[in-house]
Amino acid sequence: MVEALLDGLLRVLQPNALVYMLFGVFIGFWVGILPGLGGTVTLALMLPFVYGMEPVQAFAFLLGMHSVVATTGDLTSILFGIPGEGLSAALVLDGYAMTKKGEAGRALGANLMSSLVGALVGAAALAAAIPVVRPLVLSFGAPELFMLAVMGIAFIASLSGRGARGLARGAAAGALGLLVSSVGQDPQAGILRYTFGQLYLWGGIDIVPAVVGLFALPEILDLMVRRTSIAATAPTEKLTGVWEGVKDCFRHFGLTLRCSLIGAFIGIMPGLGGGVAQWMSYGHAVQSAKTAEERARFGKGDVRGVLGPGAANNSKEGGSLIPTVAFGVPGSSAMAVLLGGFFLTGLVPGPDMLTRHLSVTYSMVWTLVLANVVTVALCFPLLPYLARLTAIRATRLVPFLMLLVFLGAYTANNSWGDILVAVTFGILGYAMVRFGWPRAPLVLGLVLGDVAERYLWISVARYGWDWLGRPGVVVFLVLTLAVLLVPFFQEWRERRAGYVLGGAAHAD
Amino acid sequence: MRRTVVVGLTVLALLAALPAGAQAPFSGKTVTILVGYTPGGGYDRMARIVARHLGRHLPGNPTVVVQNMPGANSIVAANHLYNVARADGFMIGLFNRNLILGQLVGVEGMRLDMRRFQWIGSPAEETDVFAIRADLPYRHVLDLRRADPPLAIGATGPGANTYDFPLVLKAFLKLNLRIISGYPGSADIMLAIERKEVDGRAGSWSSLKPFVQRGLIKPMVRTPSANPELRGIPVDQDLVTEAVAKGVLKLRAVPNKLGRPFVAGPAAPAELVRAYREALRKLTQDREFVAEAERAGVEVSFTSAEEIQKMFDEVFATPPGIVRVFKEFFRFE
Repeated sequence: MVEALLDGLLRVLQPNALVYMLFGVFIGFWVGILPGLGGTVTLALMLPFVYGMEPVQAFAFLLGMHSVVATTGDLTSILFGIPGEGLSAALVLDGYAMTKKGEAGRALGANLMSSLVGALVGAAALAAAIPVVRPLVLSFGAPELFMLAVMGIAFIASLSGRGARGLARGAAAGALGLLVSSVGQDPQAGILRYTFGQLYLWGGIDIVPAVVGLFALPEILDLMVRRTSIAATAPTEKLTGVWEGVKDCFRHFGLTLRCSLIGAFIGIMPGLGGGVAQWMSYGHAVQSAKTAEERARFGKGDVRGVLGPGAANNSKEGGSLIPTVAFGVPGSSAMAVLLGGFFLTGLVPGPDMLTRHLSVTYSMVWTLVLANVVTVALCFPLLPYLARLTAIRATRLVPFLMLLVFLGAYTANNSWGDILVAVTFGILGYAMVRFGWPRAPLVLGLVLGDVAERYLWISVARYGWDWLGRPGVVVFLVLTLAVLLVPFFQEWRERRAGYVLGGAAHAD
Repeated sequence: MRRTVVVGLTVLALLAALPAGAQAPFSGKTVTILVGYTPGGGYDRMARIVARHLGRHLPGNPTVVVQNMPGANSIVAANHLYNVARADGFMIGLFNRNLILGQLVGVEGMRLDMRRFQWIGSPAEETDVFAIRADLPYRHVLDLRRADPPLAIGATGPGANTYDFPLVLKAFLKLNLRIISGYPGSADIMLAIERKEVDGRAGSWSSLKPFVQRGLIKPMVRTPSANPELRGIPVDQDLVTEAVAKGVLKLRAVPNKLGRPFVAGPAAPAELVRAYREALRKLTQDREFVAEAERAGVEVSFTSAEEIQKMFDEVFATPPGIVRVFKEFFRFE
């Protein structure tokens, strides 16, 4: 195995493979930054070029491109509150809040560093999991996947505000998210739900325009009203501070590591989708806060809210390669395109990739590692300049941001419906911010609703009630209860401590 | 004098028009293939392979690009080409092959008549195959009538062959099956088979073939096909005797021959449509194209526009009695 690991590295370092990888990184860099060109579409566009390449070269090119998109897509989330890739939306919460405080440089530095750590952990997880990947994935049936989704939904408890009122609002927002996720053809019987005779709604509400509208439009509106720059209220000398962010990553290294592992694990499970990893690690980051007061700082610019999702977003790429390589089951639409690359280069995904072609598989691991290192090295010198964008006056910036928002939304289905969804959710998002409702639970419900419904149906249809007794299900049930109860426990403990100190530190 | 000028101008205009007329109709143009699905699926992959090679066979060697317009099982894209797109003929479509049956059973939202589309042809065909885990003791498909407990069959949902095919097999071949639907995609069902969550599945031969070769599943029954690889597997229609059952099974299999049907809008200029038809026919004999398509797992097989037209006439001539029964098993949604 060690031999294959080294052989894989040597194959990637061959001059032509390396050049293809750098070329891929270059393309992916721009695709990630510019909304309107999704990573999946670009992969599909580039796929024909691998025809005739050696497998190692082809995957160096495709994976190099793909792994960069995840990193650079985060940049617009932090700088402008506009998710560049739709799936990097969890970063908006604290990343953009930091930018508004004038800490764009620090947020970008923290994000980039955690992306690198995430990518390395993801690759390491991929390399380590290869010998046990088949039993690991095969032990996860529909019931376990359902419970994983339920655990994700339980994070709503942490993402809500404090007190009974905050929790009720969080639960209501989460329920709304679940309800919205049920729009469209139901996945089991094909019944049309809430489609109102509109063909656009058959496919359901796409997450990208909804999230872009929910998070970016209210911020742009706010910026227009203020008529200043994004970071106007902050002292200008703090604009950079990239190193501070890098140090943050190591200050909270345990958290970064845990979120990387969460991302890698969710990536390994096929059928969960990319958004889940980021939101669950964000939920975990919030939960890692020791006190309720500390927890309240999330969403207002806590660097841990940047580190967690940043790490998970990249580590999941290593993870999601596993089902693609070992079973031919793509974990995401980008992986589905990549699967086409397998066939074009004459490789058949499956058990052979873990034995006969093991060094090709390891060359993919190395590509992920090298491409991410190159990206981070390329991005660092750019960060101070990017951070200065936040000092531009709103009147100059807003038209450009509007373009980003609507292009980003429109790429979901290339339909006017996407624009309408973005605007609708923009109005909803504005109202939620205005009246103090949390937006994160809504997205969590939207992201996980479909997954939860599917696997609950399959579990019951296949196993009746028996699925409840499966060991994996019981373990996740316990974890879910823990996730649910942690905030209450924290509040209880704090209230006790508060009495002792004679101070009441509660404020909504 | 004035007359001379008019005549002169006319002659000049004719002269100017002459080279343009003699020029290839596609030169300097861009042809767009409108796909009714997102990237990452079989239709998109087919469109992109065709896009790479089609231009070579069209007079004037135009650039060919792919545009994705997903939604409602490609009804959105078909409506667009039929009603909205410019009628200049430079946009062609690649839509769900089942749309024809959708029109037959009267699906809501289709603002078009499939018969008025100008069909170009199809470079591929599909065969539905029903397969079960190779470690199960059943040998012949009819042994599955006595399966106990019933075999759990993984499926995506109605409107997909993973769902419809087992459904008709259960109804007309009386196989003892239990259909578990809701899997996100065909590959996810394969994984469920590996972990023994389900016992089998139906799907296109091209997607099942690698797993049959790996020894994970064995094919039990299929729809009609000219593919010699499938010769030993029984055909569903041969296993029933009743006329209605035969009729329903036959109707359900019609779109398979359509495979990946390419189509031009109803008002596209006849000259361009002729060129497309000719180019697609030549494409399926183009060694480079065939090699690339086969590597991508496509069964290359040419179906001409006339054949498609004939199939449509047959579909719409189906006796109402059979259509009524068919409707119970086929939900386009």
